[in-house]
Formats: sequence, structure tokens, C-alpha cells
Amino acid sequence: MLYRTAGQFKTSYKADHALFPVRQDAVLLWIIVFLAVVVFPLTASEFTFQALLIPVLIYSLAALGLNILTGYAGQLSLGTAAFMGVGAYATYKLITIFPEMNLLAAILLSGFFSAAVGAAFGLPSLRIKGFYLAIATLAAQFFLVWLFEKWAWLYNYNASGAIQVPNIDFFGIRVAGPTAKSIVQYYFVLGVVALMTALSINLTRGRIGRIWKAVRDMDIAAELVGINLMKAKLLAFAVSSYICGVAGALFVFLWRGAAEPNLFDIPLSFRILFIAIIGGLGSVMGNFLGALLIVALPVVINTIPDALGLDIGAAPLEHINTMIVGGLIIFFLIVEPLGLARLWQIIREKFIIWPFPH
Amino acid sequence: MNVHVARSGPAKRLRADDGIAKGEQLLVVDNISLAFGGVKAITDISFDIAKGEIRAIIGPNGAGKTSMLNVINGFYHPQQGTITFRGQTRRRMRPHEAVAQGIARTFQNVALFHGMTTLDNIMTGRSVFMHQPLWWQAIWSGPALEEEIEHREAVEEIIDFLEIEHIRKTPVGSLPYGLQKRVELGRALAAEPALLLLDEPMAGMNLEEKEDMSRFILDVNQQYGTTIALIEHDMGVVMDLSDRVVVLDYGCKIGDGTPDEVRANQDVIDAYLGVPRD
Repeated sequence: MLYRTAGQFKTSYKADHALFPVRQDAVLLWIIVFLAVVVFPLTASEFTFQALLIPVLIYSLAALGLNILTGYAGQLSLGTAAFMGVGAYATYKLITIFPEMNLLAAILLSGFFSAAVGAAFGLPSLRIKGFYLAIATLAAQFFLVWLFEKWAWLYNYNASGAIQVPNIDFFGIRVAGPTAKSIVQYYFVLGVVALMTALSINLTRGRIGRIWKAVRDMDIAAELVGINLMKAKLLAFAVSSYICGVAGALFVFLWRGAAEPNLFDIPLSFRILFIAIIGGLGSVMGNFLGALLIVALPVVINTIPDALGLDIGAAPLEHINTMIVGGLIIFFLIVEPLGLARLWQIIREKFIIWPFPH
Repeated sequence: MNVHVARSGPAKRLRADDGIAKGEQLLVVDNISLAFGGVKAITDISFDIAKGEIRAIIGPNGAGKTSMLNVINGFYHPQQGTITFRGQTRRRMRPHEAVAQGIARTFQNVALFHGMTTLDNIMTGRSVFMHQPLWWQAIWSGPALEEEIEHREAVEEIIDFLEIEHIRKTPVGSLPYGLQKRVELGRALAAEPALLLLDEPMAGMNLEEKEDMSRFILDVNQQYGTTIALIEHDMGVVMDLSDRVVVLDYGCKIGDGTPDEVRANQDVIDAYLGVPRD
């Protein structure tokens, strides 16, 4: 078989700590990068960009943010959408107060606002855990959405109460606003998401990642091996919210183009939680798989009857779609409760020992 | 994915020497009382642990042995009394600070991080020595990578020492109980403790595993010079391993001395050891 680890020896710890200790994984990554950077943009239509590629990337990033908190550090949160909202509103304020500011800088900066808010709402985690913490983070959800609605300064006193993304150039190329081209937006989003993913992978496999996992697996033991629980938990909230904030800024500026406060309401939080759970908690790759299933699949299913020349009608199609996706979610959760990423890991292990069962 | 690395020499020990000579007092427990509401877990207990010795704490179930360990490493805060470790007296302290000072422990029930591999578990034990900030971690190069590899070498030494090379990359959740106990010892050793607290390291083991674990405890004591406080119910093990024994019963100290002295102590025989059958 193609997937083998035999014969790949490590001669230094550095090599053993490499991102892809197995050569085939690196090859697979390059294939994915090639698809994402060359093949998709060249072949995608406007619809594919707007309905598939860009949202999948942004949702993956948001789920990654939540996954750091819930999957790695073990702190349940239902406030994801609100933290995304903080990122989006912070970017909006930065862009409108400093029109000269580079959009990328504004987005990366806005994450810090989100991180601060996230860490503040993470304070209850020092006393409570599990479902009770989830309820406490609901406070963030309700309070922040209320704030987005009532604090007119946030949306520059717009009569509509919504934020409208102005035309923004990024080094002379229009990236955001009504006249921006989808392919440019796609590359921008891809770049930010790739950067954030790379940084997150590094964080989760090093010292900080181990500390988070220790807190998740057994917090008392973690404290007794010398981990400062307070620091570890608040750091997880801050990093998680930072990523969610960046995702929220991309969500509004590079995809939706406008945002009302209720966009960041609890259904969005749940959607991202589902992506993270179905993709696999405690995995970076799982977020992308989960987003493909939950965000992309319905869109693909919607186009099937047209392609086959069937006339089903919009409403029945919508229902069938929900049924299929719902069925698949249940199916995958029964087959592998630990998520799609775990499924992929099992497949890998099978490949390595193939043709033997053990 | 085998790792074969020829090491240049033993990994650097990071913990500074405290200047306490072997045989002098490393830890002094002075008049400690601990109560949970109306339940008195520990009443007015004093004893000391000398540097370099293996000190056993024995007693019937519920005598307060584990509570005593929890007090020593800062998990419980006693209502009365003081703890002096390496010449520093303290009243309140968080457990992670105790680890930083050089107290590490294992648990009665295996308390490993089940989602992580053996290697990661022991690496987590090095957390007290690792300080590279977030941004270096995030780009995985420079000081953070150097730090990671430096500590990996120290961890590999522990893995060699405990003879668990073959399970380095195995998630600990899937390991047999005896090995899990050994990984837990490795995690505690990773912090390079001056004082190692072992809470029933041999509970639930078969004879061979007990023999292995006893050998590891003696080796840790001799090779690293680590002082060990040991809770154990297997009297054969306790009497053979330990230099001095303290006996607790209902939260009070009823005996203290060498194994032979303790074995001859009538209070201890009545409360715990019983009369040997000839």
C-alpha cells in the first residue's frame, strides 16, 4: 500500500517533533494546498466561492477557535457567536475610525478585543465546569448581542442598526465591500485561515497544548504536576476567543458584507459547536471536515436535482436536505462518537498495518 | 516510527541544589491539624523527613495518610501548624507552587492525562521548567523548539530509566494498570523533585509488578538522591524499603521510628499491624 511508516527512521528529536513525522502526510498536505491555491480558484464559479469555499473556510476557523477551548482545554462554551461578533464589530470600528488602516492589521488587531472579552467571560471557569460553565458562557451570548443592538456607537449610529462593510482596498486590490471580487476574497480568507491554523497546530502540540489537555483530562492532577489552572484556563479562553474574533471579522467583512446583531445569536454558536463536535473535539483537522459536512454538504445537495434535471421544488428540497444532513450527522456520530478526525485516524492506522488486522 | 538517538551525556538537572546535607531535615511538619467542618482528619501531627531517606506513612484506612500528603503538597490548607520545606516555612500555598519548590507526587488512583501519550504525559511533568512564551510556541521555532527538544532529552532519560521505551507513543488510556502506575511515576520524576510523595504506588499490583516498582523506588532514591515519602499497605514492602516509618491512626500519630521500632510498638500492633501468627 501507499501509506506505510516502515523505513522512515528518525535520527533526531527535532525530526520526531516535526509536523508530519510520516512522509505521506506531508504529501497529502501539499496536494490539499495545491487544490486550495490553484485548482479551486481556477475552476470555481461565483456561486462556488460565495456558497462553498469562503464559508467553509470561515466556519472552519470559528470551529477551530471553539475547539481550542472545548476540545483541547475541556471548557464548554456556548458564547462562540458572541465572540465572533466582538471581532466583527471591533474591525468595523477600527476601519471606520482609522480608514487608512490595513484590513489585515485591523482584523488581526480586533482579535485582541475579542480575546479580552473572552477571557473576562471565562472567569467563571475558575469555579465551575462542564454544563454549568456552558450556561455561564450563555451570559456572554445574551449580553453581547444585546450590547451590539443597544450601543449605537458600535454601528456608527446607522439608522438600520446594522453594520455595512465599506469598500476596502488591500495593497491596491479591493478585498471587501460590494465591488470586491470573490476570488480575491477567497485568497484573503485562505491566507488568514491558513495562518491561524498553522499557529494553532503549533500551539496545541507544544507546551501550552499539553497544559490545556492536562486541564481537560484531569484538572486536579494538572494542578499537582505544577500547572497554574487559572492561567491555563484564561489563556485557553483568550486564544480561543482571538481565533473566533478573527473568524467573525472575516465572516462579516469577507463574506456577508453586512451584519445585524442577531446574526451573532445563539443558532450560530450551536452551528459552530456542531461543526466542532462532528469534526472531532481535540483535533485541528476535524474542524475542516466538520465544516465540509455541515456547511458545504447542504449546498451541494441543493444543486443535485438541478444537475440531474429533476424538478422537486424549493420547499421539498429544503426538507429533504435537512433530513439527509441530519441523518448523516447521526450516522457519523454512531459510527465514531469522537468525530470525523478520529475516523480518519482509524483509517490511517488500518492502512499502516494493512493487510493484517492488528 | 522508532526513535534511536545516541545521547552525548546525561540531561542537565535543572533544580538547584538546596545545600541541605544528606540526613538533615528536608521537610518538617509541625503540629498540623486539619478538619473538614466537624470531621477532624488530622490532629496535631508533627514529624520530619530527612534528606535522602525513604519515609513511609502507614496506618489503617481513613487514618489521614492521604490528607497528610495533600497538606504537604499544598492541596489542603491545615487550620493549625506549619510546614517547613527546605528551610522555608509556609502557611498557605497552591499545589503548583509546591511543585515549583520541588515537591511532586503520584496518586492513589491513577491520575494520568488519558487523552495523551506516555511521552506527552511525562513532558507535561516538565511544565514547571518550561517558560517560553506563547508567540514562540505559535511559530514553533527558535527558543520554544530548543526548549522542547532539551526537555525531550530529559524525558527520554526518564523513559529509559523506567524501561517504558516501547510505549512512548501509546495513549496512556490503553495501557495496563502496572504500566500506567509507572508512567505516573515518570511524570512525577520529570519535575525533578527534591521530595517525592508516593500514594500507594503498589496498590492493586501483582507480585512481579510490586517487585519492579520497589526496585524503581530504590533506584530513584539512590540514583537521583530523591527523598521519598511513601504510603503503602503492603507491610513487607514498607518494612523493607523504608528507613523510617510514621504511623497514623484516626488522624493522630501513634508511632514513629525505624521499621523495627515501629514493629515492636504496642500501639501500632493494636491499631494496625495485629499480632503475627506463628
